[in-house]
Amino acid sequence: MPGGLELFLEALWGFASPWTLANVLWATLLGIVVGMMPGLTATLGVALLTTLTFKMPAGDAILVLICMYVGAIYGGSRSAILLNIPGTPANAATTLDGFPLARAGQAGRAMGIATAGSFCGSLIGMLMLVLVAPVLADFALAFGSYEFFWLAMFGIVISGQLTAIDDPLKGWIAGFLGLLVAMVGQEGIHAYQRFSYGITELSGGFGLLPVLVGAFGFAEILQVMKQPAYEVVRNAGGRILPRLSELVRYWRTILRSGLIGTLMGLLPGVGEDIGAWGSYAAARRASRERETFGKGSVEGLLAAETGNNAAVPGAIIPVLTLAIPGSAPAAVLLAAMFIHGIRPGPLIMIEFPSFVYEVVAMVLLASLAILVLGLALTRPLLYVLAVPRERLMPVIFVLCTVGSFAIASRLFDVWVMVGFGILGFVLREMKFPMAPLVLGVVLGPILDKNFRRAMVLSDGSLEPFFTRPVSAVLAALTLLSVLAAIPSMRAGLLRLLARLRIGRAAVRDTPEPGS
Amino acid sequence: MARTPMPRADLLAGTGFLALGLVAAVESWRMPRFEQLEVNPWSVPGLVPGLIGLVLVLLGGLLVIRALREGALAPGAGAARELGFDAETGRRTLLALLLTLGYAIGLVGRLPFRTATFLFVLAFVALFRIRREMPPGRMLRELALAALEALLVALAVGFVFERLFYVRLP
Repeated sequence: MPGGLELFLEALWGFASPWTLANVLWATLLGIVVGMMPGLTATLGVALLTTLTFKMPAGDAILVLICMYVGAIYGGSRSAILLNIPGTPANAATTLDGFPLARAGQAGRAMGIATAGSFCGSLIGMLMLVLVAPVLADFALAFGSYEFFWLAMFGIVISGQLTAIDDPLKGWIAGFLGLLVAMVGQEGIHAYQRFSYGITELSGGFGLLPVLVGAFGFAEILQVMKQPAYEVVRNAGGRILPRLSELVRYWRTILRSGLIGTLMGLLPGVGEDIGAWGSYAAARRASRERETFGKGSVEGLLAAETGNNAAVPGAIIPVLTLAIPGSAPAAVLLAAMFIHGIRPGPLIMIEFPSFVYEVVAMVLLASLAILVLGLALTRPLLYVLAVPRERLMPVIFVLCTVGSFAIASRLFDVWVMVGFGILGFVLREMKFPMAPLVLGVVLGPILDKNFRRAMVLSDGSLEPFFTRPVSAVLAALTLLSVLAAIPSMRAGLLRLLARLRIGRAAVRDTPEPGS
Repeated sequence: MARTPMPRADLLAGTGFLALGLVAAVESWRMPRFEQLEVNPWSVPGLVPGLIGLVLVLLGGLLVIRALREGALAPGAGAARELGFDAETGRRTLLALLLTLGYAIGLVGRLPFRTATFLFVLAFVALFRIRREMPPGRMLRELALAALEALLVALAVGFVFERLFYVRLP
């Protein structure tokens, strides 16, 4: 079997056609535009484009979707810098230093730094994808029903907790609501139609794409229309091309943020938002210029933008190797892979090893495209921000409607989109995060089938859920995550850790007998 | 990051999830267990949705208790105010909701796609952009621009989906 590098080079060579490069350019540019517009997220962009590309050949469609994904997460930095409004939730940390830089007349510099950070983040994430995916897939081959059950449960708990850090209870409710939504329709063991009540359209359950388009598209349209209008900034001010010396100076921050971003992407349903916040917090803690953070720090901006873009390939790792999405847009990507007949999961390195390296090559092409387009089209792209929302939102709603209808050609899916849009709007207003809900919808069937299979195998005994090594680790992680979210428990855990540390220090400092 | 308390809204949401969880658990209990087919009792369809329902009852209950502790029933508490709705934001949201529902449920599938889209975009842009205090000339200009945008969107979306990507339109 050819090695990884060979497969990667083969994949790159395979993409060296004008048609493919044209696809990379338009999809990345569209992604940047979607990301720039407040109210349009990467999830919505990837979902709408999935409905548009499902008649394309699999390779072309996945390439277009990855370019949209990478482009949108990067594009959101533009509105964060120029409007102080994150274009996508992943760019919230970017506003902290990006906007002060713009206000100080250095918008061009800030956009250049954000572009360089996003490019470096994507590259670090891509390298991690090459290194981690084959190892994780190999490791996951030994996973049974017990492990997949815990993986799904851990995903819901950690996603609920990290996407609603100030209120994990709401994150968990959103996750379990997603799981319940996934229970509607025919189940996989006895083919019984649950919660369908004789409605034919419900027999197959709710389609993932109409649910996503509703929760991320329609809900956002309502939220944007609720808010007061935003001021449009047109001044790109100053030099755009980032200075190499600035990047070299902060190489540690770039590397650290890239690794943190990838790790946050890897965790089920956590994704780019936390990738950026985690990287930003770590950079601030380690920085010698801590006091400039929040006032226009180049290091802070670099950390946030490196972190969120590194989370993109990071979130693709579990999609490919476990069929579990690392983020909301990655959940759509996973659905798109199934639509196109690709079966991600632990067997991917055996069944489709070349596909993993094709995805790596796609990420590389998308990263190069954001670098080129981001730096070359800075000023023309500013016009995107000048489109008033009253003109834009009806167009987006038309796309949501057509997109929901397109997959199965049934009006029922349009109603599902509308229903989940209204539900999503109400939940968002009440500060329930959407990512755990989406993850719940994706993980529902996995959790259901594996829990029941495991219970049948163990004849009703819960013991193997806690005694098999990987299961035990995942169970402990899930439990610790829950405990860490309860304030009194967290304080107790911290006290225990502190006591252990003191104990260890005391042992170290005690002179050995006879010395 | 500190949590912004919204006790009345949380009380409503918590009660809703508690009720939903309860309904799910009861409905799961009523699902068939295929005893006559002698299937393994741990594989019955109602097992997992029932457990999920119970977890939702628990989490919804916790939210209700927290909301009550934070003063959800205090005389001044109101969900709309906690969620930042005033007359203006409420009006904008309601208008957007009525227009989008009118299009997705009322027009699409009943009228040809391009006609439905033209009417929706025209109504949305015109109703949100035209203000009563505008001079008549400006109003007419906004209306003409809305009609032009609606026409372009109806034709372009139809062309891109049908001709470029071979996707069927509603």
